[in-house]
Amino acid sequence: MKKKIGVYVCHCGGNISDYVDVEKVREEIEKDEGVFLAKTTMFACADSNQKDMVTDIAEKQLDGAVVASCSPKLHLLTFSAVAERAGLNKYNYIHANIREQASWAHSDDKVGATEKAIQIVKAAVAKVKRSNALEPIRVEATNAVAVVGAGVAGLRSAIELAESGSQVYLIEREFFVGGRVAQWDDLFVSNETGKELITRLYDKAMNHKNITLFTGAEIVENSGSVGNISLKVKVSPRHMKLNCDEGNLEKAIEVCPVEVPDKFNFNITTRKAIYHNFPGEYPQLPVIDMEHCTRCGECEKVCKNVDFSQQEEFLNIKVGSVLLATGYDPYEPKNDEFGYKTIDNVVTLPQFKRLVHYCDDKLVYKGKEVKNIAYIYCVGSRQVDGENKYCSRYCCTATIHAAITAKKKYKEIYNFHFNRGIRTYGKQEVLYDESSRMGDIYLQSFEDHPPVVSKVGDKTMVTIKDILTADKTLEVEADLVVLVTGMVPRQDNSIGSLLKVPKGRDNFFNEIHMKLRPVETVIDGVTIAGASQGPKNIMESMNSSLAAATKSFSLIAAGELALSPTIAKIDADNCEWCGKCDDACPFSALTKTDVNGKQVAVVNEAVCKGCGMCMPVCPSNAIELIGYTDDQIESMIDALVSTH
Amino acid sequence: MARINPKFTKELQSYGAFDTNACYNCGNCTAVCSLSDEDNSFPRKMVRYSVLGLESEIESSLEPWLCYYCGDCSATCPREAEPGELMMSLRRYLTSKYDWTGLSGMLYKSLTTSIIAFVLLAIGVIWFAAEQNFMPEHLLHYGHYFEMLAIGGVFLVILLPNLFRMWNMVIRKPKVKVPISAYFKSFSELIVHMFTQKRTLGCDDSQTRWFEHLILVIGYLSLLFTTVFLDWFATDSSFVLILGYVESVIIFSVTFIFMIGRVNKKTQQSKNSHPSDWFFVIWLFLMGLSAFVVRLFIDLDILETNIWMYLIHLTVLVQWALIIVPFGKWTHFLYRSFAMYFEKLKSLSAS
Repeated sequence: MKKKIGVYVCHCGGNISDYVDVEKVREEIEKDEGVFLAKTTMFACADSNQKDMVTDIAEKQLDGAVVASCSPKLHLLTFSAVAERAGLNKYNYIHANIREQASWAHSDDKVGATEKAIQIVKAAVAKVKRSNALEPIRVEATNAVAVVGAGVAGLRSAIELAESGSQVYLIEREFFVGGRVAQWDDLFVSNETGKELITRLYDKAMNHKNITLFTGAEIVENSGSVGNISLKVKVSPRHMKLNCDEGNLEKAIEVCPVEVPDKFNFNITTRKAIYHNFPGEYPQLPVIDMEHCTRCGECEKVCKNVDFSQQEEFLNIKVGSVLLATGYDPYEPKNDEFGYKTIDNVVTLPQFKRLVHYCDDKLVYKGKEVKNIAYIYCVGSRQVDGENKYCSRYCCTATIHAAITAKKKYKEIYNFHFNRGIRTYGKQEVLYDESSRMGDIYLQSFEDHPPVVSKVGDKTMVTIKDILTADKTLEVEADLVVLVTGMVPRQDNSIGSLLKVPKGRDNFFNEIHMKLRPVETVIDGVTIAGASQGPKNIMESMNSSLAAATKSFSLIAAGELALSPTIAKIDADNCEWCGKCDDACPFSALTKTDVNGKQVAVVNEAVCKGCGMCMPVCPSNAIELIGYTDDQIESMIDALVSTH
Repeated sequence: MARINPKFTKELQSYGAFDTNACYNCGNCTAVCSLSDEDNSFPRKMVRYSVLGLESEIESSLEPWLCYYCGDCSATCPREAEPGELMMSLRRYLTSKYDWTGLSGMLYKSLTTSIIAFVLLAIGVIWFAAEQNFMPEHLLHYGHYFEMLAIGGVFLVILLPNLFRMWNMVIRKPKVKVPISAYFKSFSELIVHMFTQKRTLGCDDSQTRWFEHLILVIGYLSLLFTTVFLDWFATDSSFVLILGYVESVIIFSVTFIFMIGRVNKKTQQSKNSHPSDWFFVIWLFLMGLSAFVVRLFIDLDILETNIWMYLIHLTVLVQWALIIVPFGKWTHFLYRSFAMYFEKLKSLSAS
């Protein structure tokens, strides 16, 4: 029990002293046996008072300090820092809130407010008497990061981390890098193609000694905690030793009898079982798709580097942090949503972009030349009835860009944009300007009157009640209907489930704080980048991937982590493993361990957040929360309810 | 249900429209327009119809005629889409649509065609004069005869059927039910607007424009009357003589001011001049000036020795009466006032 406690009661200008008799509070508190000095001050947070406190604590060798002032949200850290400057452990400083909880709350009852303030300060004094000096928990950190996803965000993060000095394991589930961006041609603003961007990033990443790329790879197991995460990675074989000799690959592809829809082109084309997505793709090594391969052996005859003997491999890696850049899936419209799959000339935006890629001088879909193109916006985004309430951000710009591209590439193209308000925000507005000056027609409706796609004879008609033409019903005969599909989270969320990364209401990975901590998750050591977190364009993905890389790096860069000591502690003597604490823990910080032949719970110090969820469920009361022990809390309750 | 026709803007551009597609539907043009009201909201609606190519909606609209081109809309358009000039082009487009011969459209759309027509008529006049051996008396006689014939002929063959077509497009086709009595009750509307153009006073810009235009109209109509019915070139009455001089001076002075305005481009409505605008003011100017000089030559007794002067006048007159009056900008005199008339009929049918 401490006997040299200093108490400072703040006037807060008049915010407190107008209603609370601070002098009386001081007098009452002074009577407490542990209190060595009690002072009032006009502004406790003022520099002069902070200096006085430092002098008092240091010269009078105080062993505890209390400031009775405003909310700890405002100044707890201020006075903790004062304590530390004076050489007092910051856990021996306790904050009492007599402004929000007394003077402001009871401005109609000065006597009552003063009474309450006295009790609050007494409770704080009771706690500080029983407080202990605590030191942060130090954990050794491995200076390595697993970057999941080798799209544009993953590649960029990997380069940044590698250049900062971390070892990077870049883990890509597909057999080729580049993700969605590799699927796009010209991009706005730079007019580079997606392929060019990926090539630049890939070259840079592959030339860096710190980066190891795994393709066809997935994390299947995860253990440990921030600083020391063990991952088990499953690597699927390509069944190719090396690339085929010059020209032989084309022959091998030609002789393969299997044809399956090509996912890379969103199923508008087919590919063989031995394939690469496009010539020159990275890594420049084709793959045999064993799911569809019939093992007829035809390709082996023309390409000697085919190797059916390759097996799945499992690797164990140890990292300090995991950066998730797993990207998004394009929304897949439901059957008959705007005629999708029921009307033959309805495609999605990604399909349209690939179609424009493959059509050279004429835009042809299913054998028919296309002149009039109707784009229907916000399909799968900003849903009224569905779950996707969010705007997918990129699609307005991407659509207008695609429309301009088509108009420039082919003769006599007419674009009709059936939108719900164009959101080409920021610099992208120039595209909207360009397209409307080129003669693209914009038609707008509210969410309750979406456009209707219907088949009239052999013609596809799109009708709308256009709010820009005084709600007149207008129709367009469309040769092609493009559904502007937004972004949705990856269908396969196995990595998210494995790492227990929480999802937001939109089902994308969730950050801690949208504005202030935008790339961290509540899982320590796991950061998120790019469209895995929510719809983003490439520029925004780059911003977030650089931020996530920096955040991951800063966690592990020092070689050790300093974690808060206010965590759960198990009394092994009392614990009889029942598992209830483990069920209650949202962070999986508790594990069953054998201690001297007894099964007890052990807290993983690097994982526990000190939330206290485990304490009330423990039937034998074997759990204490350091910094908030039963003894401390009970003494505070006693002080609050005592009469003087 | 209306079908969108994206090719229409190209068509409209041949009548002089600017970058109509630049419009992003902000509606500033309609907000600043001092003539637009709830019943007739323009120009945004017409811009929208034009962008979408809703031809039947445009054909049945009177709005282009209800706009008197103060130019506020063009001046405030954030996209510089020139809505005022679009309304002007729509008036040319509608003029062509009303014209059963189709010649209006050809002349509006092609400067070459217009020039060829002017040249052919000039050759015709000179050929005719040569046939008459350039006899002053014969020429003056046939000139006067032509005037009367042209007025009647053009009105009966071209203008009257075109007015009927206009009525058909704006009243009958859209099935506006107008009681017969309304046609009589509203007739005064037609006359008032035809001779005063008082709607221009609703425009926020300077009212000198209305005044200049008014005295030009009065000067023109009375000179027409003076030459055709009072036979100014052959009159003995000193009153008629002086009247004719005054009227012709008014015409060439006001049109001169208009021409200077179009050259200087200081006001919004004079910024963009279509060839048909130029033809209209120049020929009116030449008509006034040549009539003045011809009469002066008669008074000085030098016309017989300078018959070329009368040939110039006759050429200008024939070109005016056979090109500009039936197929050119002159028609706005009729269509504007009939538009006010039809608008009145529509409002009576609605109530």
